[in-house]
Amino acid sequence: MAGAIVGTMVGVGAGLGDAAPSLAHGTNIQHQITSAVKIQAAYDTGEPMAEAQVSVYAPDDPQQPWMTGLTNEQGEFIFTPDNTLSGNWEVQVRQAGHGDIVTIPWDASASDTAAVAANNTATASTGYTTAQLLLMGATGVWGLVGTALFFSRRQG
Amino acid sequence: MHIADGILPAQMAIAGYAGTGLVTWYSLRKINQMANPQAQIPKASLLTAAFFVASWIHIPVPPTSVHLILNGLLGTVLGYFAFPAILIGLLFQTVMFQHGGLSTLGINAVMMGLPAIAAHHIFQLRHQFKSLPPWGLGLFGFLSGSLGMGLAVLIFFGLLVTHLAGGLDAQAETAAIVGLCLAHLPVIVLEGIFTALLVTFFSRVKPELLPSP
Repeated sequence: MAGAIVGTMVGVGAGLGDAAPSLAHGTNIQHQITSAVKIQAAYDTGEPMAEAQVSVYAPDDPQQPWMTGLTNEQGEFIFTPDNTLSGNWEVQVRQAGHGDIVTIPWDASASDTAAVAANNTATASTGYTTAQLLLMGATGVWGLVGTALFFSRRQG
Repeated sequence: MHIADGILPAQMAIAGYAGTGLVTWYSLRKINQMANPQAQIPKASLLTAAFFVASWIHIPVPPTSVHLILNGLLGTVLGYFAFPAILIGLLFQTVMFQHGGLSTLGINAVMMGLPAIAAHHIFQLRHQFKSLPPWGLGLFGFLSGSLGMGLAVLIFFGLLVTHLAGGLDAQAETAAIVGLCLAHLPVIVLEGIFTALLVTFFSRVKPELLPSP
């Protein structure tokens, strides 16, 4: 879960109707603790998708982005869904023709919403371990080498 | 440099499959016209394996990294066998490593396979010269290997900049695409050199591995 503290600064004007600048300002800083969704985007090489474009689609409008932005240097992007909109939020991360879409179930009324959201990551990786990838690659190569050997034998 | 699912509209994906079907049919027809097509299968199979693993070999080109493609090399050495070889290699890459996507398999095959066939014809141009200097074969190998990949990068660029999705900052995305394509320039040269070295080696060790006129 990524907790975000949202600070709201409200300026209180002194001397309404007075055109002269006020030298004394009162301030009122409010805050609230809310849940947010953190996206981690990376290529399958592990390289972060830095400054990739992010489009967030709300459950009620999958056509128009509810929010757009850029990932940071670590490929991270944080946003806070509208708590009145429960459903599947879709987050698209794109950069130079590469990218992916992740669907994040968001139930504003559920107590574990933040935990659900935190377990979703938008990456371009396969989800396999390096050993699994090597094994799959080796079987593919062996199949092709085996084909070559088979047809070489028939020629002989 | 594989185009992933969801990047291009569905019409393009369908057109990609239609194009791939057409080029595959034509390639198989040309292969069938060979005197002994079965004799080429071991070579095609081994180079398919090379194409399959080439996408793992990343070359750092700051600030990013790009991977080998070898489509120009396949076209140079395999001729029309290159297209089905690339199609099979792309299918494996998509299913196993999610390089590209199943919906864009046709587009990726056309994007890399057609330049491979073009590379084959560029390399075959050497037969137009009655006597080539010793470095002539290497020069044609370099041209076919590098232009094969260069054409694929150009198609990649053209497809992406003409089909930018709505909601994206077009200027930023275009700049990112241009940056990625420019990052391929060193690899284009590298694949050209590698192809030149390979065809020179084949001509000395086993000339029958190179496509005949």
